[in-house]
Amino acid sequence: MAIIEMMNISKEFKDGLSSRKILALRNIDFKIEKGEVFGFLGPNGAGKSTTIKILLNLVYPTSGKACIMGKDVFDRSARAVVGYLPENPFYYDYLTAEEILSFGAIASGMDKTDLPGRIKTLLSRLNLSTASKRPLRGYSKGMLQRVGLALALVHDPQVVILDEPMSGLDPIGRKMVCDLILDLKAQGKTVFFSSHILTDIERLCDRVGIIVNGTLQLVDDLKHLLGKGTTLEEVFLREVGRQGGDER
Amino acid sequence: MTTLWPVAMITFKEGIRNKSVIGIFLFSLFLLCTNFFMAGMALIDIGKIAVDIALSTVSLAGLLLVLFVGINLMSKDLDKRTIYMVLSRPISRSQYIVGRFMGMVLIIVFALLIVSILAVLSIILIKAGHGNENIRFSWSVVILALFFIMLSNILLSALSFLFSSFVSTSFITLLLTVISYIIGQSMQDIRSLIATSQTSGIEISQVSTKIVQVAFYLFPNLSLFDIKLQAAHGNPVPSSYLFWTTFYGVVYICLVITASALLFRKKEFP
Amino acid sequence: MRRVLLTILLIALASLQIIAVRKATFERKALPEGDATAYLIPSKLAKVTMLEFDGIAADFLFAKALVFIGSTKERTEIPRVKPWEWKWFNELSNTITDLDPYFVDPYYFANAYLTWEGGMVQEANDLLKKGSRYREWDPYLPFFVGFNYFYFDRDNGKASEWLMTAARRPGANTLYANLAARLAYEGKRTENAIVFLEELLSRTDDEELQQRYKVRLEALQGIYALENAAITYKQKFHKKPRSVDDLIRTGLIKEIPQDPYGGTFYMDARGIIKSTSNLMLSPQKKD
Repeated sequence: MAIIEMMNISKEFKDGLSSRKILALRNIDFKIEKGEVFGFLGPNGAGKSTTIKILLNLVYPTSGKACIMGKDVFDRSARAVVGYLPENPFYYDYLTAEEILSFGAIASGMDKTDLPGRIKTLLSRLNLSTASKRPLRGYSKGMLQRVGLALALVHDPQVVILDEPMSGLDPIGRKMVCDLILDLKAQGKTVFFSSHILTDIERLCDRVGIIVNGTLQLVDDLKHLLGKGTTLEEVFLREVGRQGGDER
Repeated sequence: MTTLWPVAMITFKEGIRNKSVIGIFLFSLFLLCTNFFMAGMALIDIGKIAVDIALSTVSLAGLLLVLFVGINLMSKDLDKRTIYMVLSRPISRSQYIVGRFMGMVLIIVFALLIVSILAVLSIILIKAGHGNENIRFSWSVVILALFFIMLSNILLSALSFLFSSFVSTSFITLLLTVISYIIGQSMQDIRSLIATSQTSGIEISQVSTKIVQVAFYLFPNLSLFDIKLQAAHGNPVPSSYLFWTTFYGVVYICLVITASALLFRKKEFP
Repeated sequence: MRRVLLTILLIALASLQIIAVRKATFERKALPEGDATAYLIPSKLAKVTMLEFDGIAADFLFAKALVFIGSTKERTEIPRVKPWEWKWFNELSNTITDLDPYFVDPYYFANAYLTWEGGMVQEANDLLKKGSRYREWDPYLPFFVGFNYFYFDRDNGKASEWLMTAARRPGANTLYANLAARLAYEGKRTENAIVFLEELLSRTDDEELQQRYKVRLEALQGIYALENAAITYKQKFHKKPRSVDDLIRTGLIKEIPQDPYGGTFYMDARGIIKSTSNLMLSPQKKD
């Protein structure tokens, strides 16, 4: 059974008050197997975030079906095994990191007894131990991003979905995230993340999907793609050029 | 239920730590201090004025809580997308609404309890300061009035949830909630104004009358929950009234939250 | 350097502001002030606009009424309060009592001033009757109605009726029932008036009103003494006295009581004791 399955997903958005419709996603179809690290690549506005949000049931597809571990994404229990980091996350900033992680864990069904230990380990792994009792108001962008990661991982999910996880991080932070993803892979988790930083994709991914203007142009093994002697950049630019896809 | 409580708790913690809450407390304290000054001006009915001001302060505090703390919480979710934190969990849209609402109820009850205690204290102090003769109000009705004030504000908060489930910005939610409050409070008086329009000499058109009739069933009759006058004068409130009004409040709240949950299912967060 | 300049600027502006506000406030005094009595929200609309705050709206409007009456006490012109101002005061009192019909202070207050000074006894009674309807436990409001009918309208029948209403209410002085019975008789007006006034005096805290009642009481007691002496004279000599001197001459009374209103007591052609002051203060004297 594929861990993540998107079957012919299309999404239309209404353009403001007019009746014009914008086709954001067109027949997106792909599978992600257990233990894979899948990189989702595309220019800005290609539909990466929209695809991810459909998986999280934050956005409803106009047609098609999406499943996580065999459950339709409309089923809320599908999300029990998912850890999600949104792009530019916001949190209730009067809460402390501990309170947010506690909430995330309990809401995802984790046992209360394991909780304090797990939170402590996670916070120290992400270098947030000292700030953990302070409200999120005082956190820097990098710290907030790390809290987001902790929130995505606190309940030890099988599936980790990250939307632009490196955004706003300094090189130390980026290395931390990379190590984290490799760690998850070593634990046998499935990771699905979007990015437009090619070096990170090259370093971490098993398979890659390139989306341009709402269409999934390419899904392939990374080794297979690069084996032909091209760099990922060349592949990317070629795919973008193929669509005539200019930045939206 | 296991998912509702954590949502309610983080809602409560976030709301109660909002700096506006301190502001509302201080403002209430200030109003209650004017109580000492105002009650002294009465020649006879000192108790009535003391109770008037104490209860009105609690009402106002409740209103400010709903309008500024409550809607602010909602705007964080909808405008700034803090809702991702909750919906990315195995929590459905309906559970989210109910859980959030429960948290809001906790905020209202907790905050108004504190203001109520201060209000009661001010009444006790004034009573003690002016001797106990002409003070006619009754504590039991005062307590009931406080209960109804809480219920009334919880109802208003439920309405603000309903509005936010189909309206795009939190500012419009604020406006609609304020309008509902005004209509809800003045409806009873407007109906009596229409009923006695001949005697008071104020012309009311047919259309206006129809509109008022519709509004009566649509909007909550908030003036039902206002027993401040009875509390101030110690007039008894029949238990049948208490029962039916509480029942109305609870039914209306459930109705509105259910509608919100239904509407909210359609909402997307791109 | 910049900081020093800004601080100096701040101090200069602050001083300027103090001067400016004093000057502007002074100038404002020369502007014709709008009549405090010029506007009033009709009470039906007031109930709608005050939403759930009817109670404190009534309190604030009552404060307004207090301030208004207080401000008239400083005035020197005659009459102290103009007729349209009394009208406004009456409407204000009606609005206050429509917002909160159980609030007792405005009834007492309005009645005290509308009757004695404003000459609006009917309106005062209308207010008191409204209050009496709502405050079913209150014997004093119907008592005041009764007094007004007795004293200003000289309608003993209605007075008696309202005193009975008062007598039936909890905590009523047994006096009320007795008084109601006495009023059923014609005559004995002075004696009844004294009883009424003594009761009123005991129930009021307002110093100006107390003074007013005391003065009237003194005058009535003087008249009462003369009336009793006249009755004794008739019993003794089988004819009516022709003047108060007759009473002194025959030793029935030691001296003519002083009229606290500044006049002199005399007996008119029908034998009724009156005073040259007509029980009213002359305009020059202060109350």
